[in-house]
Amino acid sequence: MRKYQNISDRLIPFIFVLAVLILWELIVNLGLVERYILPAPTDIIAALITNSSDLINHTAVTFFEGLSGLGVAIILSLVMAVVMDLFPVVKKAIYPVLVMSQTVPIIVIAPLLAMWFGFGIAPKIFVVVLVCFFPITVNLIEGLQGVDGELINLVRSMGASKSQIFTKIKFPSALPYFFSGLKMAATYSIMGAVIGEWLGGKSGLGVYMLRARHAFALDLVFAAIVVIVMVSIALFYSITVVQRLVMPWEKLKEEEE
Amino acid sequence: MKKKLMVLAVGVLLLGLTGCSPKSDEKITVVLDWVPNTNHTGIYVAQELGYFKDEGLNVDIVQPSEGGSADLIAAGQGEFGVSYQEQVTYARTAANPLPIKAIAAIIQHNTSGFASPVDRNIVTPKDFEGKKYGGWGSPMEVATLKGLMEADNADFNQLEIVDVGSLDFFTAVKEHVDFTWIFYGWDGISAEQQNYPINFIKLQDIDQNLDYYTPVIIANETYLKDHPETTKKFLRAVAKGYQYAIENPEAAADLLLVENPEIDRDLAIASQKYLAGEYQSDAEQWGVMNSKIWNNYGTWMYDHGLLENQLNADEAFTNEYLPQ
Repeated sequence: MRKYQNISDRLIPFIFVLAVLILWELIVNLGLVERYILPAPTDIIAALITNSSDLINHTAVTFFEGLSGLGVAIILSLVMAVVMDLFPVVKKAIYPVLVMSQTVPIIVIAPLLAMWFGFGIAPKIFVVVLVCFFPITVNLIEGLQGVDGELINLVRSMGASKSQIFTKIKFPSALPYFFSGLKMAATYSIMGAVIGEWLGGKSGLGVYMLRARHAFALDLVFAAIVVIVMVSIALFYSITVVQRLVMPWEKLKEEEE
Repeated sequence: MKKKLMVLAVGVLLLGLTGCSPKSDEKITVVLDWVPNTNHTGIYVAQELGYFKDEGLNVDIVQPSEGGSADLIAAGQGEFGVSYQEQVTYARTAANPLPIKAIAAIIQHNTSGFASPVDRNIVTPKDFEGKKYGGWGSPMEVATLKGLMEADNADFNQLEIVDVGSLDFFTAVKEHVDFTWIFYGWDGISAEQQNYPINFIKLQDIDQNLDYYTPVIIANETYLKDHPETTKKFLRAVAKGYQYAIENPEAAADLLLVENPEIDRDLAIASQKYLAGEYQSDAEQWGVMNSKIWNNYGTWMYDHGLLENQLNADEAFTNEYLPQ
């Protein structure tokens, strides 16, 4: 029974999206909306196919920026969360600054980054790190601080050292939080790279979209958007897969339910 | 900021109001091509001295994020916009042509060109080889650069093109690129003021075909058909504004600064003095355009394989709404 439930659950979003696309196609083809304002889905697919080699080249650049930024953000978050967990005074000092960092308007900062660091990939990666580290850090710190205190007391009474408590109890129980943050960050990462590129550069999907917009080739702009969405989703699901591999006990729990 | 939000809100509201034209003050949105500068002075003068009001128009001036207003005007997000002949040419010959038309030339001759610090030794398009160009991501730039370099027997593939967004000339050439495309009336004058020696390759000096109209005022074709009288009123006020700027450069600069106090006053005045001779130049009146100029440039672009279709100049511009 559950199997059928699963299949129909998967079909529902698919059918819905398809219906929206068909409606969209009709609206444009009936001339209710002009093509220079909104291209039809088939125009976008055609643009995807005819410009696939350009798109692949630019996607590679953006993907590299997004992934590097995400990697740096993960390392940064791990270090920060652990330090904040160990020294409450550091947490008190840094936490407000972390929140502040997220209120800086990226759109304004990005051109300034270009001014300071040029038009290479460094400023783009910086933008990605800026948007990605926050959800990971905040979730991780919450996970580390939310560990069952009685459990910690128990292993401590058994003579566990501070580092053992961390590796055996705290970190594993914070992992689900870490992955929630990571999934959020992964969805932002490609977009962060694109925002960085949009404001200047030589290559990448953001630069490509800007050029397409100036050429009044909206179908190409949308084609690039489709690629960004697909790459972001792929990244999101890869993290889900990694999570399953890293936390096999979660799967056990699911099966027991 | 609040004011800008208000302007945006009004612009959004306007969308719902097109089609009905009230007899009292008609609401008009003008979309600039860039941050406000001396190219736009006439519009600001008309605003500050009440020329629009005298015509029964209530005008809002808004700026897009970068380079041109063609797509916004095509989409009806404003009644009038500031664009360039090269952008209009490209928009009219694109795969899905935009229904926009130029209705007045703000400056009679092309005062734009490629500027670089003297030490980069860029004197002719041949010298672009092995250099870095900083642009704003428009295919027109690439097309024009390619055409110029080929005409000068230079290898276009040896030019590196970087999009620098809205970075200003001085910041861009300081560390990141070797040359950019400027309006002499703004960055060129600014360089003079700072005693910053530049090489300037004026487009119209290289090739007569590149002496085109930039910037121009554009409108949506449908709007022009439905509101010829409003268009005439608008242009009458704007023409008066530019006339005033031609006769009173210094006062005009101050009027521009009323709404845009962030502009450097000395630069604005120097720029206004330069532009006073350029707005109308040798034309019989401000704003008037010649089909030869439209055809020359369109043909030049097409011959260099830079346009998908031949431009029909009659579709791209008209003088009929200018004051008689």
